[in-house]
Amino acid sequence: MPASSESITLTGDLHARPAGALAVAAGRFAAKVSVTAGSKTVDAKSVLGVMGLGATSGQQVTVSADGPDAGEAVAALIAILSEATRVGG
Amino acid sequence: MSDEAPRVGIVLVSHSVRLAEGAADLAGQVSGGTVRVLAAGGTEDGELGTSAEKVARAVAGAEAGAGVLVLPDLGSAVLTVRAMLADMPGARVVLADAPFVEGAVAATVTAAAGADLKAVATAAEEAWHARKL
Repeated sequence: MPASSESITLTGDLHARPAGALAVAAGRFAAKVSVTAGSKTVDAKSVLGVMGLGATSGQQVTVSADGPDAGEAVAALIAILSEATRVGG
Repeated sequence: MSDEAPRVGIVLVSHSVRLAEGAADLAGQVSGGTVRVLAAGGTEDGELGTSAEKVARAVAGAEAGAGVLVLPDLGSAVLTVRAMLADMPGARVVLADAPFVEGAVAATVTAAAGADLKAVATAAEEAWHARKL
């Protein structure tokens, strides 16, 4: 199974709506996808888990995936993190 | 999973009109607005309480072809929902045992990703384990 991982520095806090967008997008992939911020790693498909990360602006966040569409999943989630945290909400 | 596939619908049953509507608004916005999230709060005349007729109308409105998950706010709403379900044999409806706000958000986001009714119910019930701190 291919694995993929990429990090990004948040330009805004990971509030409810970007957390929702992230979990909705993650749920569309077959791969297992996780998000790590600081010492916490959560299932990216769990919106409550992503919200519970408490990830803030300036923090480095890593998206990791393992499964047939891991590369696409990581690319999609990094794109959401770079866009959505800019707006906040 | 095609984007055109019907999503599981969500019905939020609360003793309060405003609590049900607020939770539906929140869950709808967090999930991106692609899921039918309907509020069934209060009695027929808008007082505190629950209404089997309101729940039945909301279930019918939330059904998009993939089934409906019903979330009650407090245990006493369960009686109303169960009575309503007994009058709707054959309806693809699951009653979830979950925290109201967290369950609503988790279920709606999972439905938005295209998950089936069982997975949406599981997401709601897993909300018992989600910590905020």
